[in-house]
Amino acid sequence: MKKLFILMLIGLVSCSPKIKSDFSNPQPKLSIEQDVALLDIEHNLPDNILKIGSLKFQDSGFSTDCSFNSLLNQARLTAREKGANIVKVVAKKKPDLWSSCYRLDIDLYKFEGDVSSLPQYKLTLD
Amino acid sequence: MKNLIKILPLVSILLLQSCATIVSGSRQTVKFNSIPAAATVFINEVEVGKTPVEKDLKRNQNYQVLIKMDGYKTYETTLSKKFNEWYIGNIVFGGIIGLVVDPITGAMYKLTPKELTARLANDNSDVVFKDGGKDIHISVSLNIDPEWEKVGQLEKAE
Repeated sequence: MKKLFILMLIGLVSCSPKIKSDFSNPQPKLSIEQDVALLDIEHNLPDNILKIGSLKFQDSGFSTDCSFNSLLNQARLTAREKGANIVKVVAKKKPDLWSSCYRLDIDLYKFEGDVSSLPQYKLTLD
Repeated sequence: MKNLIKILPLVSILLLQSCATIVSGSRQTVKFNSIPAAATVFINEVEVGKTPVEKDLKRNQNYQVLIKMDGYKTYETTLSKKFNEWYIGNIVFGGIIGLVVDPITGAMYKLTPKELTARLANDNSDVVFKDGGKDIHISVSLNIDPEWEKVGQLEKAE
């Protein structure tokens, strides 16, 4: 019975992906009305941008909420908190034999121009 | 017949696994309504339609919900994943498989707009929410944006 409770506890607390973050240059928080561009590997960064920090999404071993769309949405929320309006995927590992999760390395940037005009990934609901 | 007697308990145990997945499913229907109608609903900043609208959402994620309409204050809330009590059924029935399967399918969670009640208390927004077991119904009465100036009123033609 004790083992069952431990299993349940593990299930409850560890279904989120493991996130490592490093913010070297945080800026004032952005509002929900301000756009944040999601740039995939193939999308280029514009000129004159300021790097805010980076994020690393890893598989905790029990992660279930780790689709590409979900991770990008979590990155966008963090970006707004730290004042970044560009989320750039710099490395991407798709689900494979070893992990059912996407694993992403992401850089966050602040761009003074209109981010909605940048070629970008269009997020969808899973 | 002897074999059947031996196999039947095993089959029953296997069929009773993954309680939450069987009872609740991996997705949950969320229904949005607003007064006035035809407000645009965004989930995670993805436009899903105009009210009244419903959407099947995966249970294992949190969602940011915005209900927008010109001339009205934008309504914002979060649908959070909370523990689904059906998951305990795995322990009651002794289902190890269910303990693993339910988190994978997301059925160990249910979506709950918990902030809605807090919002009611804070600014008197006319928001109602009904947890119909499997479905959630959210109805919002949008407040007029004070930055807009009323310049006229339509009247019913005779």
